[in-house]
Amino acid sequence: MNVQVNRILTCIQCGKCTGSCPEAGKTPFNIRMLIRKKQFQYAIEEGIPWYCTSCGACTLRCPRDVKPSEVIIDMRSALVEDGQIPLSLQKALEDTFVQKNPWGRSRSKRGAWTEKLDFEIPHVSETKEKRLLFVCCIQAYDPRCMVIPANVARILKKADFEFGILGEEEACCGNEIRRIGESGLFEELQEENTTNFKEYGVKEIITLSPHCMNVFKKEYGDTGINVSHYTEVVWELIKNGALDIKGQYEKKVIYHDPCFLGKQNGIFDQPRNILSAINGLQLLEFSRSREISLCCEGGGGRMFFEVETTYQRNADLRVLEAIERGADMITTACPFCVMTLEDPATEKGQVVKELSEILMEVL
Amino acid sequence: MNILVFTKRVPATQEEELRILGDGKEVDLSKLPFKVNDWDNYAVEEAVRIAEKTGGTVTAISIGDAESDEVLRRAIAMGVKDGFLIEVEKVLQDPYARAMLAYNFLKKENIPFDTILTGVQSEDDQFASVGGILAALLKVPYSSMVIGIDNIDKDHLVLRRELEGGLQERAKVILPCVLSIQSGINEPRYVSIMGVRKASKVERKIFKAKDYEENMSSLIEVVKWVYPPKKGGATMLSGELEEICKQILGIIKEKGVYQ
Repeated sequence: MNVQVNRILTCIQCGKCTGSCPEAGKTPFNIRMLIRKKQFQYAIEEGIPWYCTSCGACTLRCPRDVKPSEVIIDMRSALVEDGQIPLSLQKALEDTFVQKNPWGRSRSKRGAWTEKLDFEIPHVSETKEKRLLFVCCIQAYDPRCMVIPANVARILKKADFEFGILGEEEACCGNEIRRIGESGLFEELQEENTTNFKEYGVKEIITLSPHCMNVFKKEYGDTGINVSHYTEVVWELIKNGALDIKGQYEKKVIYHDPCFLGKQNGIFDQPRNILSAINGLQLLEFSRSREISLCCEGGGGRMFFEVETTYQRNADLRVLEAIERGADMITTACPFCVMTLEDPATEKGQVVKELSEILMEVL
Repeated sequence: MNILVFTKRVPATQEEELRILGDGKEVDLSKLPFKVNDWDNYAVEEAVRIAEKTGGTVTAISIGDAESDEVLRRAIAMGVKDGFLIEVEKVLQDPYARAMLAYNFLKKENIPFDTILTGVQSEDDQFASVGGILAALLKVPYSSMVIGIDNIDKDHLVLRRELEGGLQERAKVILPCVLSIQSGINEPRYVSIMGVRKASKVERKIFKAKDYEENMSSLIEVVKWVYPPKKGGATMLSGELEEICKQILGIIKEKGVYQ
């Protein structure tokens, strides 16, 4: 009997997983019941596992280490191997295989975001520190998110902090691909990236997306490379005086914890410290923040497809609460969160800024 | 029913800016990613579904370089029994030459079939004629743009062809035959990387194209690759966002898109 089946059998059906699940109650997704069905080897409706956003709350709160979110990945893997998956996910996976990004954009344009800069970023192999800024697919291609790598590059440059990029050699990190259940494709991406890291002697990786950080830290095995999120690096630079925040920012800003940065990797303080270091900025908190932050529903492959059920999305709830608390804007440090929050925010006249966008206005 | 299905590895050009090299004799494919021809993906799926329904086997055939083994493994992962690669030394574009090569191969190797499926066309050359020429050489019936197979009998098929204006034509086609499969006939299953890896264990036979070149002349000579002429017609709007929005609204009203 394998380890995973053993783990499932130890489930005591306490329901803490469903209690913490951002999809429970309003969609047909019931994680406790799915584990029960797995225990008895009952059939599971094909559409159900795709609701999971991979926020990880169930796994963090499970008292028996059943790792329900990993069980979901296994259920999805079975569907992937069977070839029966939602069409839009199929497209995202096929595009990732061909172009190394789920949007199917040309790999040769992966470095296009650098064209907006008035300075050149060297290839990581040409840097002294062998410090890599890992851009991530959505930030390399999506017009809304392309400003994030450009901003962070400007910020690091301002602090005289050396870094390089991989340009078109960078491949999708595979965090979402693994969570969609395509373990074979994940292995290929991992191998391609790891080979590049080795070849160019990368010693340190700074990621822009918490999703990339998560996978490099926890799922790439022992690479010997120090991985951090850019908010950790920027906070260090502010603390040691390399970055001087000059501007005033007379705004009430509410910070949304991305699941892959906060609850899954414990980075709660650095983004808040950065925001608190800005003169005039008043930092607000959601009722559900830090460890219990409400997932925006952009993870676990949910960026690439829509579930069938109509229900009030968490991003909508988040925006409503931000307005209720009197926030002038919502900020976060994850491109997926930016994308999911911005739709309902625009509709309701609320502003969403990625943390680096605020920083650029005050540096 | 025993089915042969042709599948081709093509460059993924949708998102790329293609470059013509030198004096127009060649397109730069060096940096392009490759994939299975979209129409062939539907053809393979259809072949597998027919075989699942009627019994019999499906064999995938690819004409191309050694790398084309990739699309054979993919087809096997989808449920095809085995694969033949007809390895060419240089890119073979001419559809008559490709069809003649396939014809010579089928005859010389004495490969039996009830039906041959091809995609309607390939994404790269877009001649949409290899299937038809092959059927003529084999002297068997041919049906193009097949969008549905309704009935499979011992000696014939009843199928639907896609016509202009949203119409379909129902036709009875005597077996053996060649069909070119239109995209949208089915929803091809997802092929996982694990599936493709497992398929590597299934034998694919490699044949050299030079052994089947009898009467294989090219009827079309590519004189030159050229970029399409630049056309006018684009209007650039300028000004503040609100002003631009008003202009856009004005234009779509004027063109009758929005009343």
